[in-house]
Amino acid sequence: MRKQTMFALLIAIPAMSALAADDAATRKDLTAVIALQGLPCGEVVRVETKGENDHIATCKDNKRYHVFINSAGRVVVEKQ
Amino acid sequence: MRFFAIASLAVFVAICGAVTQASAAEPANSATAAPLDLSSLETRLRETEAIGLMTKLSLRNQVDDLLNQFRAFYAGRLETTLEDLRRPFNLLMLKVLSLLQDKDPSLAAALASSREAIWAILSDRVKFAAMS
Repeated sequence: MRKQTMFALLIAIPAMSALAADDAATRKDLTAVIALQGLPCGEVVRVETKGENDHIATCKDNKRYHVFINSAGRVVVEKQ
Repeated sequence: MRFFAIASLAVFVAICGAVTQASAAEPANSATAAPLDLSSLETRLRETEAIGLMTKLSLRNQVDDLLNQFRAFYAGRLETTLEDLRRPFNLLMLKVLSLLQDKDPSLAAALASSREAIWAILSDRVKFAAMS
């Protein structure tokens, strides 16, 4: 049992770290996108992914933005 | 998607590549970076991890908007002056540079050193038409 737990952890830890890295990259990407639109945010601290290139970003100051790519291929940032 | 996201960025900075000669790879953190040729620049923009995918696409949108302003200006559809167009050009350059400067300083330096060369093309109707 103990060996099984160790094995599961060995698999889970790298997977979690990869997810965390992706999440950090997405937060940074969305932070830059929001800043490029000239909107106040500071830093994105949480991301809820609704689909491919479709996210709800929560900023440090609790502002929330819907960031997505519309059918015309433009990045749209809508305040929630 | 990734290709399209950098395509217009490449157009924007390709103007620089068109007026400069190919140069050897520059050392990292060089304060006086040599200008890049187009293919090198495209490759570096495509591969740089300093800018995320959605950020690249957002920049592409803004580059497209700026290039459309120049097209409208030269076509007589936009009443403005080159001096007025210089402001959004400078702002966009600053945005790109600020995104690159920490994680890809050599590319940022190369772009910064090419700023006037890019403007020289954008502000010349004939050269701009040739690049468009």
